[in-house]
Amino acid sequence: MRPRIFQTHAVQALASRSLRGYFESPAAYVALFAFYLLTGYFFCAPLFFVKQASLRPLADFAPLLLVFLAPALTMGLIAEELKSGSFENLATLPLEDWDIVLGKYLGFAGVHLLCVGGMLFYALILAFCVQPIGALDWGETFGTLLALAGTGLVFGAAGLFASSLGKNQIVAFVTAFLICFVLFLLGKAAPMLPGSLATFADYAGIDSHIDNLAKGVLDSRDLLYFASLIFAFLYLAVQRLGARRF
Amino acid sequence: MILAQNLTKRFGERVAVDHVCFDIPQGQVVGFLGPNGAGKTTTMRLLTAYLPTDEGRAELAGIDVVQDPLAARRCLGYLPEDNPLIEDLEVTDYLHFTGRLRGLTDERRRAERVKSVVRSCGLRREVGSLVGELSKGYRQRLGLAAAILHDPKILILDEPTSGLDPNQVQEVRDLIGELRAEKTVLLSTHILSEVTATCDRVIIINSGKIVADGTPSQLAGNLSDKNRLHVELKGPAQEVETALSALRGALFLRREGAGSFVLESPADIDLREQVFKIAVERRWPILGLRQEKLSLEEIFKALTQNHAS
Repeated sequence: MRPRIFQTHAVQALASRSLRGYFESPAAYVALFAFYLLTGYFFCAPLFFVKQASLRPLADFAPLLLVFLAPALTMGLIAEELKSGSFENLATLPLEDWDIVLGKYLGFAGVHLLCVGGMLFYALILAFCVQPIGALDWGETFGTLLALAGTGLVFGAAGLFASSLGKNQIVAFVTAFLICFVLFLLGKAAPMLPGSLATFADYAGIDSHIDNLAKGVLDSRDLLYFASLIFAFLYLAVQRLGARRF
Repeated sequence: MILAQNLTKRFGERVAVDHVCFDIPQGQVVGFLGPNGAGKTTTMRLLTAYLPTDEGRAELAGIDVVQDPLAARRCLGYLPEDNPLIEDLEVTDYLHFTGRLRGLTDERRRAERVKSVVRSCGLRREVGSLVGELSKGYRQRLGLAAAILHDPKILILDEPTSGLDPNQVQEVRDLIGELRAEKTVLLSTHILSEVTATCDRVIIINSGKIVADGTPSQLAGNLSDKNRLHVELKGPAQEVETALSALRGALFLRREGAGSFVLESPADIDLREQVFKIAVERRWPILGLRQEKLSLEEIFKALTQNHAS
């Protein structure tokens, strides 16, 4: 039989369970409330005080919010199972490690994309506000939303990897926060670094990729950056689970 | 059906499971006994491929658990020691979730299986309850229901009755009793009466090594180098005592009451026939004649204490 990396039915079952799990506890509601409260403020402030009808300011602020939010939402995904012992149940079912990691990750991705998807409402408000004087730059708007979606997905993958490291959720949160914060800071520190180090920091940091997308420039290098980081963290999580079992 | 060949697991310097070998044929219910820390749970975790083996190999239904863990696990229903469950799911939702992970993707078939295990595990009363609200007994039943949901050939149950009250213990035992007709079962416990009540065979492990393997009576036979006979005869006590002491191979032990005596003899000598003959010859009515066998408790103590020391 051809070896499979994952089993669709198992990933679906775990993803829907993981997504439901968020909404059966206060986690998703608190995350959504915090996300919309803070992004709402950073959306309204430029619009009403500076008269800037754009989602761009959110691309500067929301990644910092996600540095906290994504680790908070992912810290328990595997650590909690390890602590309660239910991981033994999961690990003795006929599941691949990728099934577990992808299933858990897609549950988080559902909540995160709901957060970002809800920001379309901001775009509609903007479109309505600028209607008398012109059209909204939809390229920039969708680019910003895509950048925020990608950023959260990268940070969530880092969070899931951190959660696979052990039973302690606090350790998982702090580890994920540090990874995400380094990715967030690298781009900001790039201008202060010399020559090739600056180029490296600019590419490795998440800032420049968010900037490009938020300008409405859809560059495959940026998409590849997000995709490769997500894959790398999920791969590390799978390796970690494998190391626990074999 | 369940094969362990030289299974070995080390945690640092400590050898938790030391070259464990056994072969459990189809349809057998085997009790896996041992004191705390003897290596029962680790052996079970090796058999389910939850832990890697350091040496040796294990097979479930002829499938090597390391080479093809997924195929091996498809034949297996496993109830871990602490039976960790998802607390915030409703009972049948939990079973449906487990069923989906087990590959029961056809909704109608899954619903039928869920209905069937809810009935066979006596969970009907708890349908609609959250898992977190269940009593310990019902949690064990739910764990068992999840383990047999996909109708596996093999069941590995780690302390299925631990922490239950006597009624719940009996209920879980009855359930295992019902499963014995169609499944091969390996269950660990340190409740010895449970083994006598439910198992065809006993494997005793101590300090990671198998110290006994057989039916309870085989183990008693192997272990005991003496027969002990309780005799109750109606006759003059002194005369009876003298006559019994004079039996071939008998070692008179003690008088227990007015006409009650305890004798011992080497394992190959059965004193009952000689006692019967004397009683007939002397016309002493026999009120009682009982050959004592070692209980499982005594076997367990003898094996685990000897090896520990």
